[in-house]
Amino acid sequence: MYKSKILWSLAGLAMIAAACGEDFVTVEPKGSFFEENYYANEEQAFSGLVAVYDVLRKNSGGFENMITMLNAGSDDFFAGGGSSSDGNGIHGFDNFTINELTVPRSYFGDFYAGIARANILITKLPETNMDEAKKARFLAEARTLRAFYYFELVNLFGNIPLITAPVATADAYNIEQSTPEEVYAFIESELLASINDLPQTITANIELGRLSQGAAKSILGKAYLYQDKWAEAAAQFADVNGTPGTTSAYGYSLVSDFASLWSINNKFNSESILEVSHTNLSNAGWGNWGGGNDEGNSVNQMVGPRGLNFAAGHTIPTYVSGWSFNPVTLDLRNALLGDPRYEATIFDAPALLAAGELEATPDLPKGYDDADQDTGYFLKKFMPITSETSTGGGNAELNYRQNSYYIRLADTYLMEAEALMHTGNAGRAQQLLTAVRARVGLGAVPVTLEAIYNERRLELAGEGHRFFDLVRTGRTDVLVPYGFVKGKNEILPLPFQDISNTLLEQNPFY
Amino acid sequence: MKFKKVLFFCISALLLSFIGHAQNISITGRVTDETGLPVPGTTVTVKGTQTASMTDIDGNYQISAPSNATLVFTFIGYQNLEVAVNGRASLDARITSSSENLEEVVVVGYGTQKKSVVTGAISQVKGKDLEGQPVTRIEQTLQGRTSGVYVAANAGQPGSSATVRVRGITTLNNNDPLYVVDGIWVEQSAVQFINQYDIESVEVLKDASASVYGTRAANGVILITTKKGKAGKLTVSYNGFSGFSEESRRVGVLNATQYATLMNERSVNDGGGIIYADPASLGRGTDWQDVIFQNAFRESHDVNISGGTEASRFYASFSLVDQEGIVLPSISRYQRKTIRLNSDHKLSKYITFGQTATYSHEKNLGIGNTNSEFGGPLSSALNLDPLTPLVITDPAVAGQAPYGGANGQNGIFTNQQGQPYGISSLVTNEMANPLAYEASRQGNYGYADNLIGSAFLEIAPIDGLKLRTTAVGKLAYYGSQTFTPEYYFNNGPPGNNDINSLSRSTNTNFFWSVENTATYTKRFMDSHNVSVLLGQGAYVQEGEKGQTTTYRNLPIDSWQDASFNFDIPDPLDRLGSAYRGADKKTSSLFARLTYDYKERYLLQAFVRRDGSTQFGANNKFGNFPSVSAGWVPSKESFWPENNVVTQLKFRGSWGVSGNDQIGSFLYASIINGGYNYTYGSGSNTTIITGSTITTPPNPDLEWEETTKRNIAAEITLFRDLNLTIDLWKSKTTGILGTLPIPGYVGLSSPTANLGEVENKGIDFELGYRKTFGEVSVGLNGNISMFKNKVNTISPSLDFYTLAGVQSLVGEAQRVQVGHSVGAFYGYHHLGVFQNQAEIDAYVGADGSPIQPNAVPGDFKWKDVNADGQIDTDDREFLGKSLPSYTYGLSFNIEYKGFDLNVLGQGAAGNKIFNALRRLELSDSNFQTNALNRWSGEGTSNTYPRLTSEDPNGNFSRSSNFYLEDGDYFRIKTMQLGYSLPTDIIGKAGLTRARIYVMGENLFTFTKYTGFDPEIGGGNSVGIDRGYYPQARSYMLGVNLQF
Repeated sequence: MYKSKILWSLAGLAMIAAACGEDFVTVEPKGSFFEENYYANEEQAFSGLVAVYDVLRKNSGGFENMITMLNAGSDDFFAGGGSSSDGNGIHGFDNFTINELTVPRSYFGDFYAGIARANILITKLPETNMDEAKKARFLAEARTLRAFYYFELVNLFGNIPLITAPVATADAYNIEQSTPEEVYAFIESELLASINDLPQTITANIELGRLSQGAAKSILGKAYLYQDKWAEAAAQFADVNGTPGTTSAYGYSLVSDFASLWSINNKFNSESILEVSHTNLSNAGWGNWGGGNDEGNSVNQMVGPRGLNFAAGHTIPTYVSGWSFNPVTLDLRNALLGDPRYEATIFDAPALLAAGELEATPDLPKGYDDADQDTGYFLKKFMPITSETSTGGGNAELNYRQNSYYIRLADTYLMEAEALMHTGNAGRAQQLLTAVRARVGLGAVPVTLEAIYNERRLELAGEGHRFFDLVRTGRTDVLVPYGFVKGKNEILPLPFQDISNTLLEQNPFY
Repeated sequence: MKFKKVLFFCISALLLSFIGHAQNISITGRVTDETGLPVPGTTVTVKGTQTASMTDIDGNYQISAPSNATLVFTFIGYQNLEVAVNGRASLDARITSSSENLEEVVVVGYGTQKKSVVTGAISQVKGKDLEGQPVTRIEQTLQGRTSGVYVAANAGQPGSSATVRVRGITTLNNNDPLYVVDGIWVEQSAVQFINQYDIESVEVLKDASASVYGTRAANGVILITTKKGKAGKLTVSYNGFSGFSEESRRVGVLNATQYATLMNERSVNDGGGIIYADPASLGRGTDWQDVIFQNAFRESHDVNISGGTEASRFYASFSLVDQEGIVLPSISRYQRKTIRLNSDHKLSKYITFGQTATYSHEKNLGIGNTNSEFGGPLSSALNLDPLTPLVITDPAVAGQAPYGGANGQNGIFTNQQGQPYGISSLVTNEMANPLAYEASRQGNYGYADNLIGSAFLEIAPIDGLKLRTTAVGKLAYYGSQTFTPEYYFNNGPPGNNDINSLSRSTNTNFFWSVENTATYTKRFMDSHNVSVLLGQGAYVQEGEKGQTTTYRNLPIDSWQDASFNFDIPDPLDRLGSAYRGADKKTSSLFARLTYDYKERYLLQAFVRRDGSTQFGANNKFGNFPSVSAGWVPSKESFWPENNVVTQLKFRGSWGVSGNDQIGSFLYASIINGGYNYTYGSGSNTTIITGSTITTPPNPDLEWEETTKRNIAAEITLFRDLNLTIDLWKSKTTGILGTLPIPGYVGLSSPTANLGEVENKGIDFELGYRKTFGEVSVGLNGNISMFKNKVNTISPSLDFYTLAGVQSLVGEAQRVQVGHSVGAFYGYHHLGVFQNQAEIDAYVGADGSPIQPNAVPGDFKWKDVNADGQIDTDDREFLGKSLPSYTYGLSFNIEYKGFDLNVLGQGAAGNKIFNALRRLELSDSNFQTNALNRWSGEGTSNTYPRLTSEDPNGNFSRSSNFYLEDGDYFRIKTMQLGYSLPTDIIGKAGLTRARIYVMGENLFTFTKYTGFDPEIGGGNSVGIDRGYYPQARSYMLGVNLQF
């Protein structure tokens, strides 16, 4: 009897032991996929492509967005915010004390995240089971976006690694820097290879936001321009721009109402070439901010003055109080004064207080709460009014829905005009310049490089172009009073944590 | 020796029986142990005679003896007690346990062992020692009472967990030990369901003895055994205390006059003007700490019942803990109720069955952010300016923005008189008036229900063989309910909320395991003891699942009215989300051999093979062997009989254990959504899910392995003094950590088997217990020293950075090869430049000034690399975040009915980073050390001039300026009790009645200027962002037994 008990027990043990083999300790993921099975069909490939597009929101999404950062680096805006340490990165770029520790890593890493997503998609797409024409378009979009992200990186950081395929973890620390020339050569060849596979225009409303040939050509033209390849630049822009003042072959024309460019009801208008989408539909909360599922426009929240106190019965719309980043310098304010674009560009708090629109209180003698580097002038292009505040879930601060432009037609007009001045075609340059001025009711001025530079500053004020324009044209003297060191501050330092233990060398003088 | 004694007694008894002439009288009495419990079965002998009696089940005896006789009380495991009768007819005796606790039993994995033959480093805390102590969570029982275990509270919020580190930091990820409660594996975060009165003993497996738990044992294992029923008379006990708590210290901050004075000075330093014309007129202003700290109530009650027969015994208990926190008690409170039934039954001669079952219910009110620079009442109280009034009493001010008037804000909170709580315009963002903040969190709570049980069936078919199956389960339901009203705290982000919402979340998780073991024990030739164990186990932590529902725009304003029953019209205002985590499973096979020869030579070997879901096909299974051995010279025949070294044991161990505490699927390349983008415009606007890989895969991911070595000596001196010295060393290889990859890879950091960490240390434990006449004294002390060093991180990395502090430039802590984990890193200031001459004189090798732009009053930074300038390469290691040694000391003394016990505990050798001031809100209040700022030559060499521009980085650099010594010693608890004489309480049917007063955290000795030097915080210990401090409590309690 004892024996049978033992045998019985041992048999039981053996059975349980068998049940607890390899299968028992293997589980499958739920709600996500293994990479080797993914990118199998069009839907998955498109989802992979959307993840590449996601990084475009860097322009105006998240605290560390391109617009407020690049504005702060220019002579047109300060950093601002709550205090001199409210954003070490943006303040460091404003006064050029930025160093490898204070430079925000996201300006480096976010674009590389987009590149990594493009790299894996480009590697996987050939095996995807889908319509070949659509596949070619997906591929062209991924390559164009990747080229664009490299363009942003090479401008921000100068000396960067050029990575065109997925990186194995083991190789992560063995990657070398490329020269800017190598990066530009890659950008050019990628764009040239992709343009024809993109649709000439985007027609279906649901596709608005996807890349067209015009967008890719504009990026290519800009890449040429930044390398002083004037003729090549002018050729690309000429296709995009068409006859100044009319609708181009790609469907672009200047909108008539300058101020409407910043309306939430005028998205993807005829002037828009490379536009970044925002919506309040993602109901983003603080936990999402700056992440992949935050779809709001953060510039909207950041640039308004703090604690606006409107007078009872005020006649202007009720603008939303913000965090007072990017206060306008007196330089820009004075340059724009008298220009028809002043009203749409600058929120003039002293004038509004004087006009009785704002009301002073003992706590708020200026009618608003002045914060760091206050000048009284704020960037109105991105200031929302209360009716535009999201009432959905998440935090209203993070769910503004104004789109932003990387490239719009007035920009490509002026870039072409600039290129043409170098190739000696002042006639068309004059037409382009005049068209930009005429749109806001200004008369023609004789075309010169200076006039074009000046027009760019006023037309595109606060849209994040000024710093790169000054650097690429060698006009950084105006930045020196703000702390700019020539030969050093043209590019940002590479973030400390991204070069530590790697083969990368820090940029000069950082 | 013993034989001699007996012989002596026999002979003298014989002699005395002839001599004795005195009149015999009848004596009755009761025998109790040191806790006042009756000791049935005690032998009572009339000294020098053969007359003897025995106590009954209630400890009562009756004996006839001469009125001048002496009674001798003897019971196994207790010291013999002799008491002179002196003509008394009633004589109670209290016997104390023998200091030679050789028969004491220690719980080891899968069984128990006599303490005398244990070969591992195992610390034990007995339930008896915890009686009446203010223990809410199990971690607190270890603090100060065990060597080699570092315990630091994570917060003073009642019910908060603590950071527990057994012998150092073995890994760079999860360092929490494994808790095994009656066989149930429990994460540290979930062990709060245990009622301290249910604890029979807590054992900490510190060395290779933990390898018994293979994959989960690298950080040490804490075994908790709950009480079993005792056969005999039904025993009912009540234990309870109640009292109140208060804050034990505050952080010195500036009052209004001081604040205004310093702000004026700072403004002038920065080239501005005077801001406050007459600082003195501002007086003291608002002391925000007055507002947040309040006296808090606490109580604890426990009733337990034990009884049964030899064949069937039970233990049942009910307990209640209710404790308010000292910070805004209306939103800081912990309540727990538990019920437990343990029983065991002998079903037949061969079959035994036993079970444990517990239900616990907890309710938790929390103050939200603690230890965060991002608000919460503690941070707000230190950072809010003292100028802002607590309450706006001036109707004129209350009538205008933001409080009222045309531009008045929604969501302004008022006191009962309708006066609004003051809003700072200087210090904004997350810093809120604590009373407004408190009002906004009313009615919010978290809860947890735990159903935990275990059952075993043991069959002993033949002598020495035991087959045992144990099944356990732990089902937890937990969640929270939150109403967020409209609020307007200030104009900064995220200081206001325009839309109210009600949220409820419910979560479930379930753990179960089955273990089967076969043990065969045999004694050969009367001297060889052999025991073999074979076992198998399956452990499943089912993926956590839960859901959250949120309704927005409720048509009400107050939390009392909030309800999900409202018909919310807009579907966008009815939000829901749900999730389900991945299952984690482990399967195991294990075997153990235990051998000893006459308890003189000891040997144990263990091997375990575990498979885990956390790893891919390449490395699913790991093997974890361990060996330990001991030698007891004092049992050798050559050992001279002496009274100095009465016992001596040497033991040593070696073993490998693992750690698989990482996320799921880290070995695989996983595609995740959430990288979305928006297309279309107007009504066509659509967010489309973007999917991509997030981290690079690592199919070779495997266990991290910790190899532990230990050698020790256990010595008993003069019979009463026990001394244990353990020397230990551990090395963890293949540490699972995130491999920080440079941003250009474009993916988040993967988890990989990174480098190697080494720990070594010494643990001393000292115990002394002696009875001198009617005074009995006990003394226990322990001290542990350890060193921690990172040997390698990975082939490509020398270091990686840990946490930084909001707006401070650079990280505050690093993990770097050759240094201890989490050591502080930053700039090193060498004092303050007193004048321009000092700045000019501070030159590099080429003779040019190192800090040409500095002005007097700025910090002189150490030029670490001597390159003549100060940049990021001039940072260095500034101190350790972990203590070099921790120690504990307990003392107790009993005299007649009185008893006193004191527990002290401390740590030393570490630094604390004082990050209490929110730098980026530049008008945040200063701590009082700012009064010692540099304001002219010779005024200060430690605190720089005030500046908000701060071009020299005096404040914005992470530096030794923020570091303070973290040494402390604390009288943790002090308890004074009195047991009422049994002849008085006996009439009320009581067998024991003790009342006591108790204090917790009565005294803390430290130089640290923050709230509390005891700061836990998981893996980034040492940065104080506003810890919820430990409360000081005063309590009155009783122990009753029927």
